Amino acid sequence: MAIEYQPKIVGFLCNWCSYAGADVAGTSRICYPPNIRIIRVPCSGRIDPLLVVKSFQQGADGVLIAGCHPGDCHYTEGNYYARRRLALLRPFLEYIGIEKERFRVEWVSASEGKKWAQVVSSFTDELYKLGPREMTLAKGTG
Amino acid sequence: MDLGEQIRNKAKELIERETVDCVIGYERATDGVGARPLFAYKPEEVDRLIFDQTCTHNLAKYLLNSKDKATAIVVKPCDSRAINLLLNESQIQRDKLFIIGVACPGITKTGLNNTHEELQAACQICQQHTPVIYDFLVGEPPASEPDIAEAYADVAAMEGQSAEERRAFWEEQFSRCIRCYACRQVCPGCYCTECFVERLDPLWVGIRIAPEENEVWNTIRAFHLAGRCIACNECERVCPVNIPLSLLNRKLEKEVRQLFNFQAGIDAETPAPFATYKKEEVFPELG
Repeated sequence: MAIEYQPKIVGFLCNWCSYAGADVAGTSRICYPPNIRIIRVPCSGRIDPLLVVKSFQQGADGVLIAGCHPGDCHYTEGNYYARRRLALLRPFLEYIGIEKERFRVEWVSASEGKKWAQVVSSFTDELYKLGPREMTLAKGTG
Repeated sequence: MDLGEQIRNKAKELIERETVDCVIGYERATDGVGARPLFAYKPEEVDRLIFDQTCTHNLAKYLLNSKDKATAIVVKPCDSRAINLLLNESQIQRDKLFIIGVACPGITKTGLNNTHEELQAACQICQQHTPVIYDFLVGEPPASEPDIAEAYADVAAMEGQSAEERRAFWEEQFSRCIRCYACRQVCPGCYCTECFVERLDPLWVGIRIAPEENEVWNTIRAFHLAGRCIACNECERVCPVNIPLSLLNRKLEKEVRQLFNFQAGIDAETPAPFATYKKEEVFPELG
C-alpha cells in the first residue's frame, strides 16, 4: 500500500519572536499541520545557509525560516543581516534546482500565533502541491 | 621593453634595495611553455621572472603566507581585486605590500606541454584589463574597457531551464566531484584556518563517497564566496573533473550586483554586502 505523501518541513525559529509566536499558537489551541519540525535558534541572524542546504540534503521537502519583524530584532540588527543573506540564498537554491517555493522566510512576532498557524498551513499546502522533492541523486555507499 | 623585462627591472631594484623580502611572480614552468609561480628572494633569482599570456595563477593567495614580511607581488587585474578583497577583510597589510600591476591582455587556455591561442573563458568576458590597485604599472592599459553586453549569457541560459533540468544538471556535475578541494586551495578568498568541510563535530559534509555530500560542499563553497569572488576563475581551471564552478560563482556575482549593487575587490573600503545592511531595503526575492 502506498504511503500518502506528507511533506517534511524543517523550521528554524528565532527564540524571541517566532518561537514564542508558535507557542502562542499552541496555547491558544490553534490547529495547524504537524508537518513542521521546529528548531529553535537564538536569532534569524544565526541561520547559516549551510543549515538550509543541509536540511534539504537530509530530505526536507521545505525549509521555513521565521524571525522577528525587521526593526524588532532582540539583538537589534540580526534579522537585517539575515535578510540579506537569505535574499541571496533563495535565488541560488532555485538555480541549483531546489524550487524557490520550497524555501520560505517569514517574519512572525511573539503575539502572532494566528499568523504562525497560517504560515505553516499555507506552506504545507504549497508543498503538497509541489509533491515530494525529486531525490534522484544516487545514494552514497556507507 | 617587454612586460617581463619591466617586471625584472623593478623586482631587481626592490630586492637590491631591500625594500621587500621577496618578489612573488611567474617563471617558465618545467614543460617549457607554461608558467609557474616564482618566489624570488635574491637578485639572481629575479632574472627568472617572466610575464606572458600563460601566467594564469592568481598569486594573491600566497600573500596569506607572508603576512609579516614586506612582499612584492605581480598581479593581473583580477588578482589585484583579490588584494583589495584581502585588504578589505584585514587579512594583509597595505604597507607591507608592493604591487606590480600588469595591464593584462588576457590569459590563454593552459595545458601541459602545449600552448593555446584561445583566451580562457573568464578572460573572454573580462571587463577589467587594468589592475584596480598597484604601486607600479607594467604594460599599456587600454583606453577603454570592452563593452560586453552578455557577460552572464551562460548563467541566463541556466536560469531559463526548468527546476528539474537544473537539478539533473547539477547532480551530474556534483556527482563527479572527488572533493580534492583544489578549488578551495587555489582561491584567495578561502583562507579559513578550519574550513567547515573539515569540521568533525558537527560533521557538515560526510566523509563517505556520496554525490549529495558533494552537493553540500560545492553549494556552500560557492556561497561562502558570494560577494567575495573576484572572478579569477582559478577554481574552475584547477578542477580535475571540470565542474563548471564559474556558473555557480557568476550566478552569485550577478545576484549580488542586482541586489546590493556590489562587486568584490573593486576597492578595499566598501563594506562587503553581508557585512552591512540598510534598514529601509526591501527584498522581493524573499516574498
